[in-house]
Formats: sequence, structure tokens, C-alpha cells
Amino acid sequence: MSRVVRAAWRLGFAAARGPVGRPLSQAATGAAEGGGAAEGGGGGGGGGSGSREAVERLVRAHPVVVFMKGSPEQPLCGFSNAVVQILRLHGVEDYNAHDVLQDPDLRQGIKNYSNWPTIPQVYLNGEFVGGCDILLQMHQNGDLVEELKKLGIRSALLDAEKDQDKK
Amino acid sequence: GDSGPLASAIRSKLVAALQPTHLQVLDESWRHGGPPGAESHFSVVVVSERFAGLAPLQRHRLVHAALQTELAGPLHALAIVARTPQQWESDSHVPPRPPCLGGSK
Repeated sequence: MSRVVRAAWRLGFAAARGPVGRPLSQAATGAAEGGGAAEGGGGGGGGGSGSREAVERLVRAHPVVVFMKGSPEQPLCGFSNAVVQILRLHGVEDYNAHDVLQDPDLRQGIKNYSNWPTIPQVYLNGEFVGGCDILLQMHQNGDLVEELKKLGIRSALLDAEKDQDKK
Repeated sequence: GDSGPLASAIRSKLVAALQPTHLQVLDESWRHGGPPGAESHFSVVVVSERFAGLAPLQRHRLVHAALQTELAGPLHALAIVARTPQQWESDSHVPPRPPCLGGSK
């Protein structure tokens, strides 16, 4: 598939998204893919989508915010997919997901903001929680159920356990 | 395999920064479609007393700090297991690595 067609497909797909996985930007970013070498730089400053202020607004916009590659419906990276799957296990489907592949300024800006070098990044109540390794740990040791409870979100796993007890 | 230049750099940086009692550095680039010895995606298991009292986030930050240069460069993705020697003694099981357990830039 040519780059232009691929970008257009993504734009169309993004426009079709419902409340889950609200895209940050609808702008076609066919040119963004070529910026591999720019990743290491200190960009993302100024008033753009990668500025501290812009990122701050995003992480505070919802109790659960995820910066990932692709979308919850179509993750484009196995690590990002792992985050989506873990949240899904807990019945968390309503969250803000931002596809950093669509916005190179955001991609760098979010790393600057959290001082964390990789994607995906998970924020609960505006606070950086970690990447997918940490989310998996929290899922396995019960911390995620607790953190969700603090946000007023009841994990689906609690109901699953209840059903188990009834048998 | 796991003894290429980047693997060696990762190993020596982690040894210097964290004095691990156990350290495993694995090149997992092949899981992401890279050629053998691609050295782009790594997983590390670090057992160190330095992690005592630190939450997972802080432990991972220590690992990132040790590998700052590599992460700014060729190291594209890093999966981390960070435990204290006591934790490792009671649990030396490393979660299975599906092609996607970690983060990439």
C-alpha cells in the first residue's frame, strides 16, 4: 500500500472511531513517517502538540489516558496491544487513547513530559504509571484493580471472581 | 546472538550502575522481524539490592538512566524485569515473552 493511501486509510479509520480511542489529531500525517532520525532530538517544545502544556491537558482530560501506537481497535505495535488487552480484561473500554504515530510532536513531547523513553505510556488520574511491563505487573499482583477502584472504576475481574464463588 | 556490541554495552552499563547479583540481557530483535543479531529490541532481567524500597516505576527509571545513551540511539525497545535479591530468591520466574512485553520508541 502506498504511503499516501495508508495515511488516508488511517485518517478515515480515525474519523470512524467512536468514544473509545479518541484520536488526538485528525490531520493527515503522511509526512510523519519519514522522521525516524528526528526521534532522538529534543524537539516537541514551543506551543505545539508536544509542549508540556498540551501534554498536561491530555493526561488530565480523563481518568485513564494511554499514549500508544495505533488505536485500541487496531494497535500497531505488540506492546501497545498488550496495554489495550490488559485494560479490556478489567472491563476498561472507556479511556482516551492517543496514537503517537499520527503526531511526531506528541510522540517526542510525551517522552519529554514523563522522562520515559518508550511507548506505550499509561496515565491514571493524570499521573504516569508506566509502560506495559509495569501495567502487566500491576495486573498480576492486584494493584491495577486497586488503582482503578480509586478512580471509581470497578474492575470486571471482581465480578468474574464473584461468579466463580457462586458455582 | 546476545553478545553483540550493543548487548555488551547494555551489560557493562547495568553492571556499573546497579551491581546486579543476577543479570540477563537478551537480544529479542528477532521477535520483531529484525535479522539475527539486529540488536534493536532487548529484554533485561536485573536483580539488584539497589531496587530495595523502590516502586516498579522507580526501578525501571534506574535502568533507563543507566542506558540513557543507548536509548537515545540504537536501542529501540526494552523490556525490563527488576527485582531485589530477596524477591528473586522467592520468585525467579520471568513472565513469558510474547512478541510484545515492553515499550518501544
